Amino acid sequence: MARRVSRVNTGEEEIELNMTPMLDVVFILLIFFIVTSVFIKEPGVDTTRPDAMTEEDRNPSMLIAVTAENEVWVNRRVYEMNELRGVIEQLLQENPKGRAMIQGDEGANIGLILDVQELLIEMDVEVHISTLQT
Amino acid sequence: MRRRNKHHDDQAEVNMTPMLDIVFILLIFFIVTATFLSEEGLDMRPPPDSDTPPDAEAPPPIVVQVDDDNNIFVNRTRTDVDRVLSAVNRFRAEEPNSAVLLEVQDEADHGIIVQIWDEMGANGVPVSIQRTNDDS
Repeated sequence: MARRVSRVNTGEEEIELNMTPMLDVVFILLIFFIVTSVFIKEPGVDTTRPDAMTEEDRNPSMLIAVTAENEVWVNRRVYEMNELRGVIEQLLQENPKGRAMIQGDEGANIGLILDVQELLIEMDVEVHISTLQT
Repeated sequence: MRRRNKHHDDQAEVNMTPMLDIVFILLIFFIVTATFLSEEGLDMRPPPDSDTPPDAEAPPPIVVQVDDDNNIFVNRTRTDVDRVLSAVNRFRAEEPNSAVLLEVQDEADHGIIVQIWDEMGANGVPVSIQRTNDDS
């Protein structure tokens, strides 16, 4: 209906909306979001993390959970300590500048958490210990 | 040229509206999923190895030990998790510059270590962590 009307008065072309610049902007936004979106792989397990006062905001791209039963979870699967290096290498290939975060349960053994942390430091990955999210 | 096209055959003009719809939907999808995941966390990494020898003048560290059964000892005196800070502060009253060395055994609870680490950090006490596996 509206098209028909606009076709009738082809005389005044200035009334027609030029969509091209908007489309350009939208495309650039689209590409920006596609490029920046890092799909984070959730560990797939809930941990009760300790609360802290000195915590800071981080933007991790790699989450490793250690449960109270001392299982290490990455990307919805349980891994043994000796398998972990391969898994992290795989994640690093997707995202070489990955920053890791260890979601340790309050009841997890500190030894295991430090093992994971040492492994990540050895692999030159920035690593932090996740605390209770407020 | 362009004008002639417009006037004569309108059907040759590409209708952009459906594509624009799709692009907008994609855009919204990526905006929504790109939740810049921000987590709160602590930096518990040990300091990098340095070549300079430790300062001989530095006072000896206050040793906080946590064993496998989550018993906490501050300079070999047993205490509990809520009194670690006051115990450390008592030692620091005598030696204001002394740091805290957290000696943990592997089976201590993560929660307790983070709590001690956080309390020290919040009060400006330099703290470092060390693992012990002997039952001394």
